[in-house]
Amino acid sequence: MARAVIVILAVALILGGLFFALRPDTQAGGPRDRTYDVSVENGEMNPAEISVDEGDRVTLRVSSDTPMELHLHGYNLEQVVEPGEKADLQFTADITGRFEIEDHESEAELGVLQVRPR
Amino acid sequence: MRRVAAVAPLLNLTLVYTSPALAHGFGPTYDIPIPLWLYLYGAAAAVVLAFLPLALFSRRERGAAYRYPRFDLLRVRLLRTLLTSRFLTGTLRLLSVGLFVLVVVAGLVGLQTGFNIAPTFVWVIWWVGFSLFTAFVGNLWPIVNPWAVIFEWAEALARRLGFRDGLELGEAYPRGFGIWPAVGLYLAFVWVENVFSGSYVPRYIAFFVLAYSLITLYGMAYFGKETWLRRGEAFSVYFGLLGRFAPTEVRVEAPSVCAGCEGCEPGGCVNCYECFRRAAPEERELNLRPPAVGLGLQEKALPGGAAFVIVVLAGVTFDGLLETPLWLEVLRLTPVTQTLGVVLLPLLFFGIYLGFVWLSRALGGGGGEGFLRFAAAYAFSLVPIAIAYQVAHYYTYLLIQGQMIISLVSDPFGWGWDLFGTAGFDPRYGLVGAGFVWYSQVGLIVVGHVIAVYLAHEISLRLLRDPRRALRSQIPMLVLMVLYTITSLWILAQPIVE
Repeated sequence: MARAVIVILAVALILGGLFFALRPDTQAGGPRDRTYDVSVENGEMNPAEISVDEGDRVTLRVSSDTPMELHLHGYNLEQVVEPGEKADLQFTADITGRFEIEDHESEAELGVLQVRPR
Repeated sequence: MRRVAAVAPLLNLTLVYTSPALAHGFGPTYDIPIPLWLYLYGAAAAVVLAFLPLALFSRRERGAAYRYPRFDLLRVRLLRTLLTSRFLTGTLRLLSVGLFVLVVVAGLVGLQTGFNIAPTFVWVIWWVGFSLFTAFVGNLWPIVNPWAVIFEWAEALARRLGFRDGLELGEAYPRGFGIWPAVGLYLAFVWVENVFSGSYVPRYIAFFVLAYSLITLYGMAYFGKETWLRRGEAFSVYFGLLGRFAPTEVRVEAPSVCAGCEGCEPGGCVNCYECFRRAAPEERELNLRPPAVGLGLQEKALPGGAAFVIVVLAGVTFDGLLETPLWLEVLRLTPVTQTLGVVLLPLLFFGIYLGFVWLSRALGGGGGEGFLRFAAAYAFSLVPIAIAYQVAHYYTYLLIQGQMIISLVSDPFGWGWDLFGTAGFDPRYGLVGAGFVWYSQVGLIVVGHVIAVYLAHEISLRLLRDPRRALRSQIPMLVLMVLYTITSLWILAQPIVE
């Protein structure tokens, strides 16, 4: 019985210690301003995957070859984009997770926004 | 923005036919891959915890029977009235058939490219939601299985019309078939869920449901309802497997009732709904029990029994594997296709599994039970890891995509109705933060792993009885579990390819 207790305590210590040893320190520095140039050509978004950290102030500078409306899920934001001009979609990344970016009209998936937790 | 929210998860059909690696059968993934450090931690924890029982349980009485604490809910009068109420079961059955018909009708005549209840109900509510309910509450499928209910109603009608033998032809079920028909049908389902690019198209869902209905109803008529449900109906077998994990069971403590019952296992009539229905009220028990202990009960080793479990495990892993960059490389560099993968992965799992079973038996001294019995018994011990992975992988999907059902019940066919006033409901994201999701996913898988390790320990004791040999015999199984757990964690850590 005593042996079982010792084993369990030892395992708890090992697992606990390992957790704190491996876990990285939280992001040094606070939320950042990030701007991305996003272009939509032939139904494809470039870059297709955008990753930011929680709390960042994000600006997507979108240009497109055809008139379209961009829709960002989760945040439920839309941005009309006309060919030839760049439209800015601005928001604060306060919800973490993985969110689809789609063409509102055709419902085609263009890309993805990932907001990593701090 | 009802239309947007509704249609959002649907991938554009043109994208469907051009992209080789498809995301989830239906709807995007909402989770971010787990970070490397957390993956390594989970892997290390899996290794450490796997060998914990070896350090803890070194002595056990010989031949102690497999027991677990249980509490009979039927002893509480309020619960007994509630749980055995025929009104309740009747309502559930009616509801089940109603939803079944709704899904088929919506699939056939409803809007095909947008708001339609069929895909969300089938893939989110039933496949994910009901599965989790079965695993964590109890197996209701024998009561609500729409095919069983329809067959029973048809039979009752036939009897009333004068067909004394009902609808069953009563052909003998060939013993060698075992549950292989269920294995085959389940494999076909895995293909539809993971590979078939039209799995979320309402019309195709309706077609598959109708096709499966034909097969099932015919099987029930030809071989007998209970026989087919137990041997050939893929979902009855599947939910039965999840029901072994569940914290509830039905039990009959009356040998006279169970004599000659095909479904009852040696050593106790647990979760045999046939016997439960036949038994008198005082002979019935509806027990609360610790989760997963049902997986340690002795099983009648049917042909295809272990294979079914392995196919379920492989299917769960395949679902996750399809979104990994590794799989994309495999598709690119080898002649393997997605469809081929549906068959190859279970075969690979089966081969590896049998190898480890052989090692297990060899280390245990080679005596004791036969190889097939070992294989059948140990397969169950891996189930908690698969269930943990399913929950980890799908719970945000259920939470977010599942909210769609609120708007869909008001407009099931996409015709612009608003029956309950909820048609404009938008799913709320951000209910759980990504950080919480990470920790809960790893936590769930590690807990599933620990449960699996415990089961392997109990099962090896049942198979070998001698504690020392049982301890040695567990080691290959523990290694296998560590590998399976680390693979599951690895999948969660992979960048998502859509």
